[in-house]
Amino acid sequence: MIFISLVILVPLLAAIVILCLRKRAYELALAAAVVSLFGSLGLLFGSGAELILPGLPTMPLRLVATPLTSVLSTMVAVVSTLVLVYATGYMSQDKEKNRFFATLLLFIAAMQMLVLAGDWVLLLSAWELIGLSSYLLIGFWYQKPGVKTAATRAFLVTRSADLGLYIAAFILIASAGTSDIAATLNTDGTAAIVAGLFLLIAAMGKSAQTPLHDWLQRAMAGPTPVSALLHSATLVAAGAILLIRTAPMLPSETLVVIGIVGGITALITGLIALGESDLKRLLAASTSSQYGLMLLAVGAGVPLAALLHLIAHAAIKSSLFLGAGVFQHSRGSTALKDLAGVARDQPRIFIGFAIAALALAGIPPLSGFFSKDAIIAATMGSSHAWLFVPLVLIGTVLTGAYMARVLRILWQGNAQKKALAGLHWMSAGVAGLVILLIVLGALFPTIEAFVAAPLPGNMLAVGLGLSAALSGLLLGWFVPVRSLMGPLLEKANQGFSIAGGFDNLCVRPAFAIAHACEKLERRLYTAVLAVGKTGVKIAHVTRSSDEQGIDRFIFSIVHQTIRLGRQARALQSGLIHRELAITVIVTAGLFVVTVIGLLIY
Amino acid sequence: MANDLALMLPEIIVLLTAVAALVAEMLRQPRIAFFVSIAGLALATMLTLPLLGEQATAFSDTFRIDTLSIWAKLILLPATILSLLLVRAELGGSAREGTAYVLIIMITLASLIMAGAGDTMLLVLGILLAGLGSFALVAYPRTDAATEAAMKYFVFASVTAGVMIFGLTYWFGGTGSTLLSELVILEKSPALAAIGFIAVVIGLGYKAALVPFHFWAPDAYEGAPVSIAAYLSVIPKVGAIFALAQVVRDLPVESAWQWIIAVVAVLSMTYGYLAALGQQNVVRLLAYSSVAQAGYFLLGVIAVGSSPLAFESLIVFSAAYAAMNLGAFAIIMQVGRTLEAFKNVGRQFPVIGVAMVVFLISLAGIPPLAGFVGKFLLFGAAMEAGFTWLVVIAIINSVLSLAVYLRIVVPMYQPSENEATTTDIVTIPLVRQVWFAGLLLTVFIGLAAQFLLGSIS
Repeated sequence: MIFISLVILVPLLAAIVILCLRKRAYELALAAAVVSLFGSLGLLFGSGAELILPGLPTMPLRLVATPLTSVLSTMVAVVSTLVLVYATGYMSQDKEKNRFFATLLLFIAAMQMLVLAGDWVLLLSAWELIGLSSYLLIGFWYQKPGVKTAATRAFLVTRSADLGLYIAAFILIASAGTSDIAATLNTDGTAAIVAGLFLLIAAMGKSAQTPLHDWLQRAMAGPTPVSALLHSATLVAAGAILLIRTAPMLPSETLVVIGIVGGITALITGLIALGESDLKRLLAASTSSQYGLMLLAVGAGVPLAALLHLIAHAAIKSSLFLGAGVFQHSRGSTALKDLAGVARDQPRIFIGFAIAALALAGIPPLSGFFSKDAIIAATMGSSHAWLFVPLVLIGTVLTGAYMARVLRILWQGNAQKKALAGLHWMSAGVAGLVILLIVLGALFPTIEAFVAAPLPGNMLAVGLGLSAALSGLLLGWFVPVRSLMGPLLEKANQGFSIAGGFDNLCVRPAFAIAHACEKLERRLYTAVLAVGKTGVKIAHVTRSSDEQGIDRFIFSIVHQTIRLGRQARALQSGLIHRELAITVIVTAGLFVVTVIGLLIY
Repeated sequence: MANDLALMLPEIIVLLTAVAALVAEMLRQPRIAFFVSIAGLALATMLTLPLLGEQATAFSDTFRIDTLSIWAKLILLPATILSLLLVRAELGGSAREGTAYVLIIMITLASLIMAGAGDTMLLVLGILLAGLGSFALVAYPRTDAATEAAMKYFVFASVTAGVMIFGLTYWFGGTGSTLLSELVILEKSPALAAIGFIAVVIGLGYKAALVPFHFWAPDAYEGAPVSIAAYLSVIPKVGAIFALAQVVRDLPVESAWQWIIAVVAVLSMTYGYLAALGQQNVVRLLAYSSVAQAGYFLLGVIAVGSSPLAFESLIVFSAAYAAMNLGAFAIIMQVGRTLEAFKNVGRQFPVIGVAMVVFLISLAGIPPLAGFVGKFLLFGAAMEAGFTWLVVIAIINSVLSLAVYLRIVVPMYQPSENEATTTDIVTIPLVRQVWFAGLLLTVFIGLAAQFLLGSIS
């Protein structure tokens, strides 16, 4: 219980303290990250914990530490700690460190909350918090042109996909009668299929799956540590984590869809990465592609393989990004043509980068090799092996190809020596992550045993994976990208916008709806105007009838009345005999009335 | 006998007050006459309170002590006190000041006798007594206009009283008695009853200034001092109306008396407001307005015997009428007699303006003021008696009345072309007290009608 609080609350408190103190940002952030890491380790080695907080009357808020969630929590804590170490160097020249570290800590706290959330309400709030803090981080350099647009785009795409999570959560809560995630995992039937599909939509948004992959590449506008964190263990991982956590519930119909989405993403974003001319954008496309592979594993029914690849990828991709960040500082650009030969400037960083690249390609004994083998083995064991296995293999070849291409570009060229501020901090971060990615492979059997899920072993898978990885690397190194991709290159550079993408799926429908609304409104406006005009016309008619009819009538009454009044006054002549005569005459009239009255009775 | 005297104690006190005031006037002490008058009337009012709820007759059935006569005292005596204040303010210091008080008290006594009359002779006595005092009061200023008005008043009184007494002989012939309670005998001979009733309507209609016996009223009000006009427009009128109610209580329905009353009511309401529309003199305007208001009173009279609301509505409207009419006249005393004088008054003297507006819209019968409550009850009573058509005419006339009263209100608030026009209004403390009391009562009766109704029934 205390560990759960440490994991989430310490980064949060540190963020608040940094914002209040406005100094000692590094120290506080690092300390908080380390404490949070210890908390996660405590959960990992503890015997599971549950924290129930008062929430809605029948739906208390829960935080749970199961083997799965504690492994994920540890991964998040480790990666974020190392990224923070790196950021200490990377951001040393930035004036707005306080805001950066505070937001980053908020981000980490939100991610830990998401990972450990034991009920849907808390999960949803964590999900929203991640969306918010990632928006703040991507838009951190908001003064730069295009940054705000990128942040807004990332936010809007993930937000629209978030709708899926809401619907899925409501379906699950409604059908299970509780918001406890563990309890809702027993859902089956149509509810499970529908909820699973909506969960997939949410995951597609966050994990940048085709056709919603476009925002991730644009999100590179943020600082590099942010990219490293977004891509490895936090924002993008949230989608995959969601599916891994809910995998026991997902029925086979949904799993097939998940697998297909993942496979297509792996293929398309792999091609995009291959054709990319910017290092960070290339890495971003690669992220989508790797998450595609994870979804494929989930779709194949082995979420453990996805989990392993998630962990391996977290370490690999963050070290790649951190390396890219060093290169960026060194050359002041992330375009591949500007980075040619940067390996000679920063040989040590490049070694780390290269190891990570090989790991991603799946070369033993690095961690990526084991996780990718697990995925291949999983797809081979799936009932849709005929579809999934080729997709995985193509994805693996593509991974090898684009990584080899990058390594070649970075290696070939001339050195431009330049002193870098905070290099040792950045090196430390990269080194830590590289060591992690090397040793992680050895830890996998432990994780496997810890999570207590069998992983299908297959020697054929190892052979296939290794040969695919090697062939990919060779292709990428020796064959020029133009001849490798042929006509696909141009389309890949456009982000396969024809295949859909953000513009077709979100922008165009949104604009179409907007246009339709505008048209409707214009019609309504015309209609309302017509009603108004009719009203005015009726009013005119009424007024003229008033003036010519009623008014004239009333005026005539008034005139008559005044005339009568004049006559009444004329009766008052002041001559008493005449007045008495009137009295007598009227009295005689009274007699007549009386006679009539008497006759009536 | 002693019991009879006790029942008539308020009237006796009023008589003694008049005598005492006369003595004081003879001793050339008008101040003492004034204070004796006020004190005596106040005492009489107090002595009336224990009688509330009493149902009795005195002096061999000739005088009735009932709801009507008791409330007549409770309304007319305080109204007389207010009138005395006005008279003191206007005529104080003049040569025969004290005689005015004596005459006023005598007229009040006559009105009370009329309101409680149980005998035709008492009715005649009341009319003659009230008439004598009124002639003298109208002629009080000794101007040509006043003398002419008094003369006219007197001629009308002579004719109508003569006709009335002539008609009453038919009743005496038919019943062998002068008692009103014997009139039920005339059930078999409705023509006889009707002839006598027309005579009574002529006599009382003259006193109450009903059309067509009203001709004296505008001239008399205009010729007389304003305070006297105020007094004459309220006290004898209410007395005469109550007397009419006393008469019709015992009159058999077969005599078609309701139709006679209805015709007179329609004539009074309509003619009164129509004639008021053309007036330039505010006193004359209010004189015609009081003619029309008398017509409204008849709606209560018509319901006597067929609606339990009849007496209540008459009493409430009398109280309201006394308060608002005296108040309006008090303000005329302060501002002036012509419409011209009322120009810009509302802007220059906001309090007086508001008070006058309250009196006028209350006279027109706009809620939540006293006039509305009174008219509302009158309409209810008449409708209960089956005279819905009469109520419709009354309501139409109410609309007309608004036009009449707005003729005073509009110049009060209309921005004048010449802003420099300032009217000098001499504030007379006594008058201010009167209209202030009238204002309070007008609002109070309007708001506390429920309470008032509860204490009547």
